[in-house]
Amino acid sequence: MSTIASDTPTRALAPQLGGLYAIWLREVKRAIRDRGQLIGGVSRPLLWVLIMGIGLNPYFRGEIYGEVRFVVPFTYLQFIFPAVIVLNIMYTSVQSAVSTIWDREFGFLREILVSPLSRTTILLGKVLGGATVALFHGCLVLVLARFADVTLTPWGTLTGLAWMFLLAFGLTSLGVVIANRVRSFEGFGVFSNAVILPLYFTSSSIFPLDPSLTSAQSKLVYPEWLVTLVEINPLTYAVDALRGAFIEFHQFDPRIGPIVLVVMAVGFFLIALRDFSRA
Amino acid sequence: MSDTKPAVAIDAVSKRFGRTLALDNVSFAVRPGELFALLGPNGAGKTTLGHILCTILKPDGGTARIDGIDVVSEPFKARQRLGVVFQEPTLDDRLTLYENLNFHGLIYGVPAAARRARIKDMLALVELFDWRDRLVRTLSVGMKRRLEIARVFVHDAHILFLDEPTVGLDAQARERLWAYIQRLRSERELTLMVTTHYIEEVEGADRVCIIDHGRILANDAPAALKLAHGQALLRVVANEETTAADIMATYADRAARKGADIVLKSDGDDFAASFLARYGSRIRRFVVEEPSLASVFLSLTGRELRDQAASARELTQAFGKRGGEHTR
Repeated sequence: MSTIASDTPTRALAPQLGGLYAIWLREVKRAIRDRGQLIGGVSRPLLWVLIMGIGLNPYFRGEIYGEVRFVVPFTYLQFIFPAVIVLNIMYTSVQSAVSTIWDREFGFLREILVSPLSRTTILLGKVLGGATVALFHGCLVLVLARFADVTLTPWGTLTGLAWMFLLAFGLTSLGVVIANRVRSFEGFGVFSNAVILPLYFTSSSIFPLDPSLTSAQSKLVYPEWLVTLVEINPLTYAVDALRGAFIEFHQFDPRIGPIVLVVMAVGFFLIALRDFSRA
Repeated sequence: MSDTKPAVAIDAVSKRFGRTLALDNVSFAVRPGELFALLGPNGAGKTTLGHILCTILKPDGGTARIDGIDVVSEPFKARQRLGVVFQEPTLDDRLTLYENLNFHGLIYGVPAAARRARIKDMLALVELFDWRDRLVRTLSVGMKRRLEIARVFVHDAHILFLDEPTVGLDAQARERLWAYIQRLRSERELTLMVTTHYIEEVEGADRVCIIDHGRILANDAPAALKLAHGQALLRVVANEETTAADIMATYADRAARKGADIVLKSDGDDFAASFLARYGSRIRRFVVEEPSLASVFLSLTGRELRDQAASARELTQAFGKRGGEHTR
């Protein structure tokens, strides 16, 4: 048997890329084999789009003196569709972060940590893998586009996918940041109720803030705290970016969304990397 | 010591966790090709030492070198040379046996052709080849251990650190695991560092290093240790209770009762002969127990090996093992 390990000079990049691929592939394989996760990824959009969306569709308008007025020029189904994509991505990203907790508790993380891979490679592989799976779950929602009366244009879909990937990358990194701080763990339910749903509901996902109103005017229609929560929630702008891509509707300046997405992806990754290198 | 470069050199390594001094100025060298056993109770510092060697922990002081490479200043090169089998299994339950080994080969940068050949060889060696496409979660504890041994060799490590490789295995599985390790040692140049608290397993080691409370108490070949620190024992059963009482009275300073047995500390054959001359006709059983590493350990540390302590993370792990939602 040859002695590859000691004979080959350690070239910086090639082994790291192989390791990156291995970690990415593992994440994807595990996700595909996890039936529970797949069922969630399919049933969630079905429930939100077909039941919640269709159910609330007729009420998504205001009627003043017999005259029908829409707050936004879209049906509720169209309005909620990009937000459901965000919801699906969020669930999957956080789930993949939860798997890092189990990697740590059951020791698999050690197998990776004592290998000749750098911490950056390990984390990047992990986050890219999680983001790939989350992007795939986001695409599951796109299948329902026709039922939501959303027309997928090539350019819109392409930019939409780019924003979806950035979101998935940022949220998976955020998940790792949270996972690094969790010392005892009793299940995914905590994450779902404490992180995912609050962020989702305060991201202007299921109700619009009237774009024709200023922030001050919105605060007259809605309670002030709610408007403030929506405005400081970064996901609000992610949802807004996806609305721009898929139904060409913005509640905020269209430039804010992409900036927030990039800042989230880079920022959370760097924080995760800092934590990870220290551990 | 010979002039060859030591495979593992530990020099004045210390590590402190809060108030506990886990390693106190520990130094030793492992020669190439040696089977070096670290023997000590749980919490003695064996695992800490292992973690420093595989660069998970940094020592507070001192140096550790693998093949002459400092683990602190060149961790990546050091890790490439070292194969580690941890105390707890570190396999991915959701991947197949083949996928686990392939993953290992990829992260250690083993080229594709060599990777495939080695995975095949190693799976065959540990008799798991027929299982290669099964998920790891379907394996027994013993099979998982064998798979982990096989995995280390996918990147062709010459220096192995095995941390309690046989813990939690039944006697048969333990024997089998050692048989594989011995076979691998006979086939290639291999330096082995093994930690264990099963005394019978270190009898075959070239050298045994007894460690307790972070300090090295002795470091020598098993036979030399027995010679220096061992204690031969006579185990006798008297015919009648009056004789037993007589023996106890005569050898009060060196005798102990264990049920019907009387255990006497022996100085050697002369003591046995004098004992037999006096009581030979009045005893039913007479056994000479040669000094064992267990008695060496006892005389060095003043106590028996401690039992496994419970880990603080057991709640979370138990939840995962019950199959808690969205876990593995």
